[in-house]
Amino acid sequence: MTSDRITRHGRTMVVRIAGLALVAATIALPASAADKLQYFTWSGYELPEFNQSFLAEHPDGIEFTMFGDDDDAFTKVKAGFRPDVAHPCYDKVARWNKEGLLQPIDTNRIKNWDSIFPVLKNLPDLQAGDGKVWMVPWDWGNTSILYRTDLVPNPEPSWNLLWDKQYAGRIATIDAVHDTPLVAAILAGVNPFDMTPEEMDKVADKLREQRPLLSAYTTDMTSIEQSLASGALVAAMTWNASATTLKKQGVPVEFMKPKEGMLTWSCGYVLLKDAKNVDLAYDFINSRLEAEAGRYLIENYGYGSATSTAFAGVPAEELERLQLPSDPDAMLKTTVFTAPMKQNDDLAKMFERVKAGG
Amino acid sequence: MMAPGTAITFLLILFSLALVVFLAFRVNDGSLLGAGFTLGNFSNVIFDPLNWSVMLRSLAIAGCVTAATVITAFPVAYFLAFHAGRRRGLILFLVTLPFWTSYLLRVFAWKIVLAYNGVLNSALVGSGLLSEPTLAFLNTPTAVVVTLAHAYAPFAILPIYVALDTIPRSLIEAAADLGARPWTTFRRVILPNAMPGVMAAALVVFVPTVGDYVTPALVGGPSSTMIGSMIQAQFGKANDWPFGAALSAAVMLVILTVVLIVRTTDARFGSRA
Repeated sequence: MTSDRITRHGRTMVVRIAGLALVAATIALPASAADKLQYFTWSGYELPEFNQSFLAEHPDGIEFTMFGDDDDAFTKVKAGFRPDVAHPCYDKVARWNKEGLLQPIDTNRIKNWDSIFPVLKNLPDLQAGDGKVWMVPWDWGNTSILYRTDLVPNPEPSWNLLWDKQYAGRIATIDAVHDTPLVAAILAGVNPFDMTPEEMDKVADKLREQRPLLSAYTTDMTSIEQSLASGALVAAMTWNASATTLKKQGVPVEFMKPKEGMLTWSCGYVLLKDAKNVDLAYDFINSRLEAEAGRYLIENYGYGSATSTAFAGVPAEELERLQLPSDPDAMLKTTVFTAPMKQNDDLAKMFERVKAGG
Repeated sequence: MMAPGTAITFLLILFSLALVVFLAFRVNDGSLLGAGFTLGNFSNVIFDPLNWSVMLRSLAIAGCVTAATVITAFPVAYFLAFHAGRRRGLILFLVTLPFWTSYLLRVFAWKIVLAYNGVLNSALVGSGLLSEPTLAFLNTPTAVVVTLAHAYAPFAILPIYVALDTIPRSLIEAAADLGARPWTTFRRVILPNAMPGVMAAALVVFVPTVGDYVTPALVGGPSSTMIGSMIQAQFGKANDWPFGAALSAAVMLVILTVVLIVRTTDARFGSRA
């Protein structure tokens, strides 16, 4: 009896201590997290090689949160998530701005601002006046069809491959408004960036035509890469990084140059209005714009860096292998730049309906 | 002890529900809580045939999951209650074991089994039953049913086991004494007495699976979009929270109706008490 009571007493003690520890932990955690830079980004963009000098100065100084695509990121921030720095793409900047989520970034505090390609620096939606910008461009790249050269022999270089009934069930596409509906608009002969309701119906028809052929709408590039490697998929819409990864693994793939043009995008850093760590944010952006970081991005992912200094460090034959010109200007001569789409929200709703079978 | 319970009920449940209902009557202007009041979201929910077809698809998939889960869980629960003996503890432990890993990991485990170069395809090709791997397993509604049925199995096994375990053994003996064969005993004594457990199991599986959106997104493919995916899209990419809220409220009503129908049927034809 006595020993039983003692153990029971002991157990209550344990529970109390555990409770106290839990309370202490919840109080302590936010305090330590608040000194870290909160960075909200695409998965794959968290590598330490991208910000080595920042980490040398502030060891363990970044807390990462990932998003699947920047539309999801927008709703999360709108709902009250408050990172210091986020990484949307150019076409979304105006939307974030309109919602009052951003604060201007002072380009005088960006050390490598001058080495950023003018074509990116001068994008209209970035300008906040007075030497300030809403976004500091960091990366650019292409969206196209990655296909298995052994399973799709000599295809016509066209986005129509993702509509080819021959490959029903063995193609996949990206679940993002600025990718799949944009391409559907191009194929439907509609201006993707500004369309009438009738034109939007044409885009919807094009998307409906594609749905039964698809194995998935996804932003999960890892599973796309695995399915292409195994042969479950023969072609999929991807970004450069997937092409680079699969080629490194020796999978026979090619990143298509569609006659309608690849899509070219550019993304970068925005500073959120309620950012608690503004100085850290500037240190971070500066560190990411160093030539070393940009070179790592080019060589490992096959994406373009926003700075010409990063390209200077990459040998010409390496760029040749990555099919990447050393200046986004050269790329944009043959590709379609993903600028903001005027009817983005309507397109998004329409795309969701088509995906659901409507 | 009342205070925490009240706080949880009001803050976490009633307040959130009220917020959903409030939002469902707002006009979407892209802002957090919308602007002005409208019934438009509900008329969009009701008069758009797409919502109905997706809702029906969700009910059908959740119904299949419930049936599959309860039918496979019953023998396990039966064995546990009547035949497990000293190994009962061990088997109960094994039943709950999958819960030790994250749900996402269990979904990905099924991806490994069902994939083009996965376990099932390799086995079929290796044994000569198929000449080349098939795409028919993954990214289909069947894959969603299999994955969900596996994930929810313990939720069905435990309530059925409790119901079976509380059946007085004397009833079964009495049935035998009165000359009932094992099958008759099962049908007339055990099954009616186990019905409350079966119903509880069916509810616990059905209600959360109707609104599931993670599983169809990972193993479902385009033809298994469920109503949860549509709601999630409204709060995500489509950026129309009021419509998403109206859709959520409508789904809650549909589930409530289904549950009430099942309960009345059960009260009339089913279980003891």
